[in-house]
Amino acid sequence: MEFTLLASALTGVAMMWGVLRITNHAADFDRLVGVAAVGLVSGRLVAMVAAGVNPLVHPIDVLVVRGGVDTVGAAAGALAFLAWSVRGNRVRLDDLAPAAVAGMAGWHGGCVWRNACLGAAGEVPWGWALSGSSTVRHPVELYAAGLMALGAIALVRLPVGWGVRATLAVALVAGARLITEPLRPSLGGGTGWWYAGAMAAALVAAGYLTVRHMRMGPTTSSSTA
Amino acid sequence: MRRALAVGAIVLAGCSTASLSGAETPDALPTIDGSGIHSLLAAADRPAVVNVWASWCLPCRSEAPLLAAANRKFEDEVAFIGIAVQDDEDRALEFIAEFGLDFDHYFDRNRAVPAELGGIGVPITYFVGADGMVVNTHSGIIDERTLALMLDELTG
Repeated sequence: MEFTLLASALTGVAMMWGVLRITNHAADFDRLVGVAAVGLVSGRLVAMVAAGVNPLVHPIDVLVVRGGVDTVGAAAGALAFLAWSVRGNRVRLDDLAPAAVAGMAGWHGGCVWRNACLGAAGEVPWGWALSGSSTVRHPVELYAAGLMALGAIALVRLPVGWGVRATLAVALVAGARLITEPLRPSLGGGTGWWYAGAMAAALVAAGYLTVRHMRMGPTTSSSTA
Repeated sequence: MRRALAVGAIVLAGCSTASLSGAETPDALPTIDGSGIHSLLAAADRPAVVNVWASWCLPCRSEAPLLAAANRKFEDEVAFIGIAVQDDEDRALEFIAEFGLDFDHYFDRNRAVPAELGGIGVPITYFVGADGMVVNTHSGIIDERTLALMLDELTG
């Protein structure tokens, strides 16, 4: 059992729970945990397939999360499950958005439990070095956590019409990852284009929904603070 | 829903688990002991990543594609070395072929290398400086971010 990974996940769950309580949507806790679980499994399956490991032949490998979780696969699976679970009730996506972003912030901030916050080398006063090294590095996961936490606060306070808060949440998370991605050493080409595409699409959707909301009159989300 | 599951199952069933590269697989693995690994690392003229694995080890199976990819990207700067421990040699060779682990592997039936370098369990990944000294030891499965970070540290 990878206890430090579990600690990071629990940090995310705790932050998600806290925001759900603040926004009076604690009843949706199970739903969001389900979204996270489905995202994890779908991301792991995509990572396995991409690595040439057949999930049908090696089903237990799905549990070895440390082996890799594909970010795009995880996001797609999580969003699909979320959309399915709130089908027929568009406002609820807005209600869950701040908590989902807070959960992501907690997951990234949980890097402190597993000593996995560091990214590219950079002589910044708040950076630190790996054990046994003198190379100071950016705590890139804490940057992402901070951006997402600020985004979650902004989403809670944003009085917007239905759909806007949810689409802005996608843009916020994608944007936070996009900004910090250059500071993450990677073996592949990175997922920057996916983040850029997701952010652009989400911003276009948010703009469209805002204009539509302004034309059709107020239908604000129930969790507007 | 059932239709989607059926389609998903068919797609997954079509995913290849055969050899991932056209690299030549050795016919046999040279054996290594505790002193041998030091000689090997001292002879290397560059940093090294030493991965201790076994074909029966589930986490090793999960991290193998990552190591293959890392080797392809960094083979000119970093020497990748695989140590198959407590294994059956034929199965170890199959494992190398299955994942296209196109770097040098050695056979260590008695775990002499981990006993010498430190660390328990399988897998273990040692990051070794150009001077042959172990600078970091990662016990358990290694993820892409950690591997990329450590390689950046070795080559930076």
